[in-house]
Amino acid sequence: MESPHSTNFLDVHELIERSQPRPRVAWFAYAAGIFLLVVVASALVNARVPGAKGVVDLFSKLAMVGIIVGMSMLMHFVVRRQREEMRQVEALEELVQLRRWPDAALLVRGMLSTPTRTPQARAQAMIFLASILARYHRFEDAIAVHNHLLDSISFDEATAHGIRLGRAMAMLREDHLVDADRAISELRRTSQGRPSAGLALVELYRDVKTGHPTEAIEHFHESLPLFQKQLGHRTGDAYALLAKAYDMRGKETHAAAAYEKATHLTAVSELNRRYPEVVSLSAKYAAAPLPPELRTTTAGAAA
Amino acid sequence: MMPAHSAISRFRRDLTLGTILNALLLAGVFVCTLLGGAFSSPAGDMIMLMLLIVIWMTLGYHSMKNSRIAANSPSLIASGQFDLAEYQIEKSLKNFSIFRTSKLLSLHHLAVLRHAQRRWADAAELCNALLRQRLGSLTGLARQSRLILADALLELGDLNGSYQAINDLYQHRLTLAEALGLLHVQLDYQWRVNAWEQMLAGLGNKVEMAELMSTPNGARSQALLALAAQRTAREELAGWLRRRVELLVDVSELTAARPVLKELWPGPSAASPASAEAGDEAQRATTSELD
Repeated sequence: MESPHSTNFLDVHELIERSQPRPRVAWFAYAAGIFLLVVVASALVNARVPGAKGVVDLFSKLAMVGIIVGMSMLMHFVVRRQREEMRQVEALEELVQLRRWPDAALLVRGMLSTPTRTPQARAQAMIFLASILARYHRFEDAIAVHNHLLDSISFDEATAHGIRLGRAMAMLREDHLVDADRAISELRRTSQGRPSAGLALVELYRDVKTGHPTEAIEHFHESLPLFQKQLGHRTGDAYALLAKAYDMRGKETHAAAAYEKATHLTAVSELNRRYPEVVSLSAKYAAAPLPPELRTTTAGAAA
Repeated sequence: MMPAHSAISRFRRDLTLGTILNALLLAGVFVCTLLGGAFSSPAGDMIMLMLLIVIWMTLGYHSMKNSRIAANSPSLIASGQFDLAEYQIEKSLKNFSIFRTSKLLSLHHLAVLRHAQRRWADAAELCNALLRQRLGSLTGLARQSRLILADALLELGDLNGSYQAINDLYQHRLTLAEALGLLHVQLDYQWRVNAWEQMLAGLGNKVEMAELMSTPNGARSQALLALAAQRTAREELAGWLRRRVELLVDVSELTAARPVLKELWPGPSAASPASAEAGDEAQRATTSELD
């Protein structure tokens, strides 16, 4: 069976091609043309065959009502199909939020395997596709999706910032350090000084990844209030990277404290999946213990 | 600022006018097509029909433009640009629209705005007015309005009204965002009626859901769960949840909004462990750690 880890399962280039929305049929222009045709034809017939006036009048009125009813039905059908598509996008968003990755992968494949009804739905589905690919550690594919989105679609600033963040993180994970550095510079330039916890997290990861623990620790302390405000429980990610930075500097007491905080907010398995650099910490430092009420469930932050 | 009652009366008037106008246009089409012979001029009925279509299309175009004005307001509210959102919603409510859904959406956006502005009485009045309407395919609007209503009534101290709104929501299939909103409001309701055990039912799911909420909502929900754990003598659980909250928000802000939470952080002043910790660590970083 195909797995989301396999490139055959979510073939990015194929999905990008196949999901292009079909050009819209100009139904309104057709209807206007038919309407005009009916008016001209009825006027002509009335002028040339005065005896058929009653029949022509009735026919032209029925034709006009038919056009109105037809257009209304068509509009209703189109709107209903678009709503169905938006519902699918919302379902996809929920699956990604709930981290039900296999279901999300299946749904996004289904959505992007055929032309979407609107470019907006396609763009949103592609953004989720990039997240799913990153979850399955297919970072090259995720970067390809991010590049396609940024090159071909004009997004609002906040959305573009989110996509650039995802791309920079994927580049770091794939060890494209020069590209990542360029992407981070672009993020700094485009965010125009607006505080971004996502950018601070990417920079923190870059510092850890490139062996600059002192800078990482500085970055963390500068950005902690921002992490708390904007990232919520993902602040655990920042604490895990802080623990790694302390560990690299040989400050084991501080590393242990930061790791305890990280695992209080985020499960060890999630941290290890997101940042392979922190895997070694789980053998060295104790994770925050789960209370007994949560030990039997899959919920809770600590593993 | 548009008062709730005047927004509601304008909304009702426009709905009535819209219904009458739509009925008149339909009746006009009916007269022109089936009783066309009533016109003395041979082309009279055709011209009349075309005129009706043009009127309907013009009104529809303006109504659609109006809907677009209002569509942007949720993102403005979310980003805290209340003045701009107020301006757009007011404009949308004051403009006439033949589309019922456009008017319903504008009123809903006004309720969302009043809720964000913490004008609880106005928010509740607007939601009640909206829920009395026939919403047809806009069932999502009804669910969101009930959520806002439940929260606003809680803030106003109307526990019965809030319970009713929460209970109504259980009759619907909710989206994830709505389920998160419901959990947040429900926990806030349950502590007020001392339903401590019920608060902890399905704890694992509730903790998981709180992690998906915005930071302030997630922190408050977990703080209320910690309070329930403390009240039911589950000390380890209470401590674990309390610690999570401390890692996420300024506790003093939390206890200012819900003084009952001071039980979790007793002391002369509910200090802010999160901020204090950030400050302490920053200090450590600039002294011994980073040299």
